[in-house]
Amino acid sequence: MSSLRLGAAVALLALPLAVALTDTHLEGQSAALVISTAAAALAVSALALQPLLAGTGRLRWHRMLGGIALALVLLHLGALYLESPEDTLFALSLDGPTRGRMAALATAALIAVVALGVLRRRLPMASATWRILHGFLAGLVIFLGFGHAILTDGALDGFGTPVLLAFGAVALVGVGSAFAARRRRARSSAAASR
Amino acid sequence: MHDRPSRPWLLALVLVVITGGVAYALLSSEPSGTDAANVGDSGRGEAPDPEERQCKATRSNPGGTNNYIPDGPAAESLGDGFIITGRVRAAADCKPLEDLRIQVWLATETGGEQDNRASVHTDADGVYRIETDPTVAQFGEPNIHVGYDDGDYREVFIRRVVDLDDKRAVVNLTLRR
Repeated sequence: MSSLRLGAAVALLALPLAVALTDTHLEGQSAALVISTAAAALAVSALALQPLLAGTGRLRWHRMLGGIALALVLLHLGALYLESPEDTLFALSLDGPTRGRMAALATAALIAVVALGVLRRRLPMASATWRILHGFLAGLVIFLGFGHAILTDGALDGFGTPVLLAFGAVALVGVGSAFAARRRRARSSAAASR
Repeated sequence: MHDRPSRPWLLALVLVVITGGVAYALLSSEPSGTDAANVGDSGRGEAPDPEERQCKATRSNPGGTNNYIPDGPAAESLGDGFIITGRVRAAADCKPLEDLRIQVWLATETGGEQDNRASVHTDADGVYRIETDPTVAQFGEPNIHVGYDDGDYREVFIRRVVDLDDKRAVVNLTLRR
Protein backbone atom coordinates (compact mmCIF):
# COMPACT_ATOMS: atom_id res chain seq x y z
CA MET A 1 0.00 0.00 0.00
CA SER A 2 1.39 3.39 -0.96
CA SER A 3 1.87 5.95 1.79
CA LEU A 4 -0.79 8.12 0.18
CA ARG A 5 -3.38 5.35 0.40
CA LEU A 6 -2.30 4.48 3.92
CA GLY A 7 -2.68 8.12 4.93
CA ALA A 8 -6.15 8.28 3.39
CA ALA A 9 -7.17 5.08 5.19
CA VAL A 10 -5.93 6.37 8.55
CA ALA A 11 -7.72 9.71 8.00
CA LEU A 12 -10.94 7.87 7.16
CA LEU A 13 -10.63 5.65 10.21
CA ALA A 14 -10.00 8.68 12.44
CA LEU A 15 -13.16 10.40 11.15
CA PRO A 16 -15.61 9.18 13.86
CA LEU A 17 -13.10 10.13 16.57
CA ALA A 18 -12.53 13.57 15.05
CA VAL A 19 -16.28 14.21 14.73
CA ALA A 20 -16.91 13.10 18.33
CA LEU A 21 -14.08 15.07 19.93
CA THR A 22 -15.01 18.31 18.15
CA ASP A 23 -18.73 18.03 19.00
CA THR A 24 -20.20 20.58 21.40
CA HIS A 25 -21.67 17.71 23.42
CA LEU A 26 -18.31 17.14 25.14
CA GLU A 27 -17.72 20.79 26.08
CA GLY A 28 -17.06 21.06 29.80
CA GLN A 29 -17.65 17.34 30.36
CA SER A 30 -15.63 15.11 32.68
CA ALA A 31 -12.53 13.20 31.61
CA ALA A 32 -14.47 9.95 32.08
CA LEU A 33 -17.11 10.99 29.55
CA VAL A 34 -14.49 12.19 27.04
CA ILE A 35 -12.57 8.90 27.35
CA SER A 36 -15.78 6.90 27.09
CA THR A 37 -16.83 8.77 23.94
CA ALA A 38 -13.38 8.52 22.35
CA ALA A 39 -13.28 4.76 23.01
CA ALA A 40 -16.73 4.35 21.45
CA ALA A 41 -15.76 6.40 18.36
CA LEU A 42 -12.60 4.31 17.87
CA ALA A 43 -14.67 1.13 18.27
CA VAL A 44 -16.87 2.37 15.39
CA SER A 45 -13.82 2.42 13.11
CA ALA A 46 -12.51 -0.91 14.42
CA LEU A 47 -15.84 -2.67 13.86
CA ALA A 48 -16.17 -1.24 10.35
CA LEU A 49 -12.68 -2.48 9.42
CA GLN A 50 -12.95 -5.97 10.95
CA PRO A 51 -15.00 -7.74 8.23
CA LEU A 52 -12.74 -6.25 5.53
CA LEU A 53 -9.65 -7.65 7.26
CA ALA A 54 -11.30 -11.07 7.54
CA GLY A 55 -12.52 -11.01 3.93
CA THR A 56 -9.09 -10.10 2.55
CA GLY A 57 -7.36 -12.79 4.58
CA ARG A 58 -5.47 -10.47 6.93
CA LEU A 59 -6.24 -12.76 9.85
CA ARG A 60 -3.43 -11.66 12.19
CA TRP A 61 -4.63 -8.09 11.97
CA HIS A 62 -8.24 -9.29 12.25
CA ARG A 63 -7.49 -11.14 15.51
CA MET A 64 -5.57 -8.25 16.99
CA LEU A 65 -8.17 -5.65 16.06
CA GLY A 66 -10.93 -7.91 17.42
CA GLY A 67 -9.27 -7.84 20.83
CA ILE A 68 -8.80 -4.09 20.58
CA ALA A 69 -12.46 -3.57 19.62
CA LEU A 70 -13.62 -5.53 22.66
CA ALA A 71 -11.20 -3.61 24.91
CA LEU A 72 -12.54 -0.30 23.52
CA VAL A 73 -16.15 -1.30 24.14
CA LEU A 74 -15.35 -2.38 27.71
CA LEU A 75 -13.43 0.89 28.25
CA HIS A 76 -16.48 2.81 26.95
CA LEU A 77 -18.70 0.97 29.44
CA GLY A 78 -16.24 1.23 32.34
CA ALA A 79 -15.73 4.96 31.88
CA LEU A 80 -19.52 5.48 31.79
CA TYR A 81 -19.73 3.52 35.04
CA LEU A 82 -17.15 5.86 36.59
CA GLU A 83 -19.16 8.85 35.31
CA SER A 84 -22.38 7.60 36.92
CA PRO A 85 -22.81 4.04 38.23
CA GLU A 86 -26.54 4.56 38.74
CA ASP A 87 -27.23 5.80 35.20
CA THR A 88 -25.06 3.05 33.69
CA LEU A 89 -26.77 0.23 35.58
CA PHE A 90 -30.19 1.74 34.82
CA ALA A 91 -29.41 1.97 31.09
CA LEU A 92 -28.44 -1.72 31.07
CA SER A 93 -31.37 -2.83 33.26
CA LEU A 94 -34.63 -4.30 31.99
CA ASP A 95 -36.24 -0.89 32.54
CA GLY A 96 -33.57 0.89 30.51
CA PRO A 97 -34.17 2.56 27.14
CA THR A 98 -34.01 0.64 23.84
CA ARG A 99 -30.58 2.10 23.05
CA GLY A 100 -29.26 0.70 26.36
CA ARG A 101 -30.72 -2.73 25.57
CA MET A 102 -29.02 -2.62 22.19
CA ALA A 103 -25.71 -1.75 23.86
CA ALA A 104 -25.99 -4.62 26.35
CA LEU A 105 -26.86 -7.16 23.64
CA ALA A 106 -24.16 -5.84 21.29
CA THR A 107 -21.55 -6.21 24.05
CA ALA A 108 -22.70 -9.75 24.83
CA ALA A 109 -22.56 -10.65 21.12
CA LEU A 110 -19.09 -9.10 20.79
CA ILE A 111 -17.81 -11.14 23.73
CA ALA A 112 -19.26 -14.26 22.07
CA VAL A 113 -17.63 -13.36 18.72
CA VAL A 114 -14.21 -12.87 20.35
CA ALA A 115 -14.63 -16.06 22.44
CA LEU A 116 -15.43 -18.00 19.24
CA GLY A 117 -12.28 -16.54 17.70
CA VAL A 118 -10.07 -17.46 20.64
CA LEU A 119 -11.53 -20.97 21.05
CA ARG A 120 -11.78 -21.78 17.35
CA ARG A 121 -9.49 -24.82 17.38
CA ARG A 122 -10.82 -26.19 20.64
CA LEU A 123 -14.51 -26.06 19.72
CA PRO A 124 -16.06 -29.32 18.46
CA MET A 125 -17.71 -27.80 15.40
CA ALA A 126 -17.20 -27.96 11.65
CA SER A 127 -15.29 -24.98 10.32
CA ALA A 128 -18.33 -23.95 8.24
CA THR A 129 -20.51 -23.98 11.36
CA TRP A 130 -17.93 -21.87 13.16
CA ARG A 131 -17.73 -19.40 10.29
CA ILE A 132 -21.50 -18.96 9.99
CA LEU A 133 -21.88 -18.49 13.77
CA HIS A 134 -18.93 -16.05 13.97
CA GLY A 135 -20.17 -14.04 10.98
CA PHE A 136 -23.80 -14.04 12.15
CA LEU A 137 -22.87 -12.79 15.62
CA ALA A 138 -20.54 -10.19 14.08
CA GLY A 139 -23.48 -8.93 11.99
CA LEU A 140 -25.51 -8.72 15.20
CA VAL A 141 -22.73 -6.72 16.92
CA ILE A 142 -22.74 -4.27 14.02
CA PHE A 143 -26.54 -3.92 13.82
CA LEU A 144 -26.97 -3.51 17.60
CA GLY A 145 -23.82 -1.48 18.24
CA PHE A 146 -24.35 1.01 15.42
CA GLY A 147 -28.10 1.12 16.21
CA HIS A 148 -27.22 2.00 19.80
CA ALA A 149 -24.90 4.77 18.62
CA ILE A 150 -27.45 6.20 16.17
CA LEU A 151 -30.25 6.25 18.78
CA THR A 152 -28.02 7.93 21.36
CA ASP A 153 -28.09 11.74 21.65
CA GLY A 154 -24.42 12.50 22.02
CA ALA A 155 -21.16 13.45 20.40
CA LEU A 156 -21.94 11.48 17.22
CA ASP A 157 -25.14 13.41 16.48
CA GLY A 158 -25.47 15.79 13.57
CA PHE A 159 -22.68 14.99 11.09
CA GLY A 160 -21.96 11.94 13.22
CA THR A 161 -25.20 10.26 12.14
CA PRO A 162 -24.36 9.91 8.41
CA VAL A 163 -20.82 8.85 9.46
CA LEU A 164 -22.31 6.11 11.65
CA LEU A 165 -24.69 5.00 8.90
CA ALA A 166 -21.85 4.86 6.36
CA PHE A 167 -19.45 2.96 8.66
CA GLY A 168 -22.25 0.59 9.69
CA ALA A 169 -23.13 -0.07 6.05
CA VAL A 170 -19.45 -0.73 5.20
CA ALA A 171 -19.27 -3.18 8.11
CA LEU A 172 -22.43 -5.10 7.14
CA VAL A 173 -21.46 -5.23 3.45
CA GLY A 174 -18.03 -6.36 4.66
CA VAL A 175 -19.52 -9.37 6.47
CA GLY A 176 -21.35 -10.42 3.31
CA SER A 177 -18.31 -9.94 1.09
CA ALA A 178 -16.11 -11.88 3.52
CA PHE A 179 -18.39 -14.89 3.03
CA ALA A 180 -18.40 -14.37 -0.75
CA ALA A 181 -14.58 -14.11 -0.82
CA ARG A 182 -14.26 -17.28 1.22
CA ARG A 183 -16.56 -19.17 -1.14
CA ARG A 184 -14.57 -17.89 -4.15
CA ARG A 185 -11.30 -19.02 -2.58
CA ALA A 186 -12.73 -22.44 -1.69
CA ARG A 187 -14.01 -22.90 -5.25
CA SER A 188 -10.74 -21.90 -6.91
CA SER A 189 -8.67 -24.13 -4.62
CA ALA A 190 -11.06 -27.03 -5.33
CA ALA A 191 -10.63 -26.36 -9.06
CA ALA A 192 -6.84 -26.22 -8.66
CA SER A 193 -6.69 -29.56 -6.83
CA ARG A 194 -8.72 -31.31 -9.52
CA MET B 1 -18.26 -29.58 -1.17
CA HIS B 2 -17.02 -31.10 2.06
CA ASP B 3 -17.01 -27.80 3.97
CA ARG B 4 -20.56 -27.62 5.27
CA PRO B 5 -22.08 -27.46 8.74
CA SER B 6 -22.28 -31.00 10.09
CA ARG B 7 -25.70 -30.38 11.66
CA PRO B 8 -27.30 -27.57 9.62
CA TRP B 9 -30.66 -27.86 11.41
CA LEU B 10 -29.09 -27.34 14.81
CA LEU B 11 -27.17 -24.32 13.54
CA ALA B 12 -30.31 -22.88 11.91
CA LEU B 13 -32.21 -23.39 15.18
CA VAL B 14 -29.50 -21.60 17.17
CA LEU B 15 -29.56 -18.64 14.76
CA VAL B 16 -33.37 -18.45 14.84
CA VAL B 17 -33.43 -18.56 18.66
CA ILE B 18 -30.79 -15.81 18.93
CA THR B 19 -32.61 -13.62 16.39
CA GLY B 20 -35.95 -14.16 18.13
CA GLY B 21 -34.48 -13.42 21.54
CA VAL B 22 -32.86 -10.20 20.35
CA ALA B 23 -36.06 -9.10 18.57
CA TYR B 24 -38.11 -9.80 21.68
CA ALA B 25 -35.65 -7.96 23.93
CA LEU B 26 -35.74 -4.88 21.69
CA LEU B 27 -39.48 -4.85 21.04
CA SER B 28 -40.30 -5.28 24.74
CA SER B 29 -38.18 -2.27 25.70
CA GLU B 30 -39.45 1.32 25.77
CA PRO B 31 -37.51 3.88 23.68
CA SER B 32 -36.63 6.07 26.67
CA GLY B 33 -36.96 3.53 29.48
CA THR B 34 -39.99 2.21 31.37
CA ASP B 35 -42.76 4.83 31.70
CA ALA B 36 -40.40 7.65 30.75
CA ALA B 37 -42.86 9.62 28.62
CA ASN B 38 -41.69 12.66 26.68
CA VAL B 39 -43.13 15.61 28.60
CA GLY B 40 -41.34 18.40 26.76
CA ASP B 41 -43.03 21.11 24.72
CA SER B 42 -42.36 24.52 23.18
CA GLY B 43 -43.37 26.29 26.41
CA ARG B 44 -46.08 28.32 24.68
CA GLY B 45 -49.61 28.30 26.06
CA GLU B 46 -51.08 26.58 29.07
CA ALA B 47 -49.26 23.62 30.56
CA PRO B 48 -51.13 20.42 29.65
CA ASP B 49 -53.16 18.98 32.53
CA PRO B 50 -55.22 16.04 31.23
CA GLU B 51 -58.41 15.69 33.28
CA GLU B 52 -58.50 11.91 33.21
CA ARG B 53 -55.21 11.74 35.08
CA GLN B 54 -55.86 14.43 37.66
CA CYS B 55 -57.25 12.13 40.37
CA LYS B 56 -55.12 9.10 39.55
CA ALA B 57 -52.18 8.72 41.91
CA THR B 58 -48.89 9.24 40.07
CA ARG B 59 -46.62 6.21 40.18
CA SER B 60 -42.86 6.40 40.50
CA ASN B 61 -41.08 5.00 37.48
CA PRO B 62 -37.81 3.06 37.19
CA GLY B 63 -34.79 5.35 37.23
CA GLY B 64 -36.81 8.02 39.09
CA THR B 65 -34.31 8.12 41.94
CA ASN B 66 -31.21 8.17 39.71
CA ASN B 67 -28.77 10.76 41.09
CA TYR B 68 -31.25 11.82 43.78
CA ILE B 69 -29.68 13.61 46.74
CA PRO B 70 -32.28 14.29 49.47
CA ASP B 71 -33.18 17.86 50.41
CA GLY B 72 -32.26 19.83 47.32
CA PRO B 73 -31.42 23.44 48.25
CA ALA B 74 -34.27 25.94 48.06
CA ALA B 75 -33.73 27.87 44.84
CA GLU B 76 -35.72 30.36 42.80
CA SER B 77 -33.93 29.40 39.62
CA LEU B 78 -31.27 27.14 38.12
CA GLY B 79 -30.59 29.39 35.15
CA ASP B 80 -32.83 30.39 32.28
CA GLY B 81 -34.18 29.04 29.02
CA PHE B 82 -36.07 25.98 30.25
CA ILE B 83 -39.02 25.63 32.64
CA ILE B 84 -40.06 22.68 34.73
CA THR B 85 -43.59 23.03 36.04
CA GLY B 86 -46.67 21.08 37.05
CA ARG B 87 -49.70 20.97 39.29
CA VAL B 88 -49.75 18.86 42.43
CA ARG B 89 -53.01 17.34 43.65
CA ALA B 90 -54.24 15.01 46.36
CA ALA B 91 -55.52 11.67 45.06
CA ALA B 92 -58.30 11.60 47.67
CA ASP B 93 -60.22 14.65 46.41
CA CYS B 94 -58.31 15.83 43.31
CA LYS B 95 -57.80 19.23 44.97
CA PRO B 96 -54.56 21.17 44.41
CA LEU B 97 -52.06 20.98 47.26
CA GLU B 98 -50.61 24.29 48.38
CA ASP B 99 -47.17 24.90 49.88
CA LEU B 100 -45.83 21.42 49.22
CA ARG B 101 -42.13 20.96 48.61
CA ILE B 102 -41.24 19.42 45.23
CA GLN B 103 -37.67 18.57 44.27
CA VAL B 104 -36.32 18.72 40.73
CA TRP B 105 -32.95 17.73 39.31
CA LEU B 106 -31.58 17.55 35.79
CA ALA B 107 -28.43 17.82 33.68
CA THR B 108 -27.95 21.21 32.00
CA GLU B 109 -25.13 23.07 30.30
CA THR B 110 -23.86 24.12 33.73
CA GLY B 111 -23.64 20.70 35.35
CA GLY B 112 -24.91 17.17 35.87
CA GLU B 113 -27.96 15.94 37.74
CA GLN B 114 -26.17 16.00 41.07
CA ASP B 115 -25.13 19.65 40.60
CA ASN B 116 -28.44 21.02 39.33
CA ARG B 117 -31.02 20.32 41.99
CA ALA B 118 -33.53 22.47 43.74
CA SER B 119 -36.54 22.45 46.07
CA VAL B 120 -39.55 24.55 45.08
CA HIS B 121 -42.94 25.01 46.72
CA THR B 122 -46.41 24.87 45.20
CA ASP B 123 -48.56 28.01 45.13
CA ALA B 124 -52.26 28.37 46.03
CA ASP B 125 -53.20 26.60 42.77
CA GLY B 126 -50.91 23.67 43.56
CA VAL B 127 -48.46 24.78 40.87
CA TYR B 128 -44.68 24.54 41.21
CA ARG B 129 -42.38 26.13 38.66
CA ILE B 130 -38.64 26.58 38.27
CA GLU B 131 -36.57 27.94 35.41
CA THR B 132 -33.30 26.21 34.55
CA ASP B 133 -30.64 26.35 31.90
CA PRO B 134 -31.43 24.35 28.74
CA THR B 135 -31.21 20.58 29.17
CA VAL B 136 -28.40 18.51 27.71
CA ALA B 137 -28.32 14.83 26.87
CA GLN B 138 -27.48 12.68 29.87
CA PHE B 139 -26.72 9.06 29.01
CA GLY B 140 -28.04 9.49 25.52
CA GLU B 141 -31.12 11.65 26.05
CA PRO B 142 -32.09 14.79 27.96
CA ASN B 143 -34.11 13.77 30.99
CA ILE B 144 -35.53 15.44 34.04
CA HIS B 145 -36.41 14.25 37.53
CA VAL B 146 -39.20 15.41 39.80
CA GLY B 147 -39.69 14.01 43.29
CA TYR B 148 -41.78 14.32 46.42
CA ASP B 149 -40.21 12.83 49.54
CA ASP B 150 -41.48 14.73 52.59
CA GLY B 151 -43.61 12.12 54.32
CA ASP B 152 -47.11 13.64 54.37
CA TYR B 153 -47.93 11.71 51.23
CA ARG B 154 -46.35 8.66 49.69
CA GLU B 155 -43.02 9.37 48.04
CA VAL B 156 -42.96 9.72 44.27
CA PHE B 157 -39.85 9.78 42.06
CA ILE B 158 -40.29 10.56 38.40
CA ARG B 159 -37.95 10.25 35.43
CA ARG B 160 -39.21 11.80 32.19
CA VAL B 161 -37.52 12.76 28.93
CA VAL B 162 -37.66 15.86 26.73
CA ASP B 163 -36.24 16.85 23.35
CA LEU B 164 -33.12 19.02 23.18
CA ASP B 165 -35.01 21.97 21.68
CA ASP B 166 -37.91 21.89 24.15
CA LYS B 167 -38.47 24.93 26.35
CA ARG B 168 -40.66 23.38 29.02
CA ALA B 169 -41.32 20.10 30.80
CA VAL B 170 -44.68 19.55 32.48
CA VAL B 171 -44.87 16.97 35.26
CA ASN B 172 -48.16 16.95 37.16
CA LEU B 173 -48.25 14.90 40.34
CA THR B 174 -51.18 13.37 42.17
CA LEU B 175 -50.14 12.21 45.63
CA ARG B 176 -51.81 9.69 47.91
CA ARG B 177 -51.37 9.05 51.56
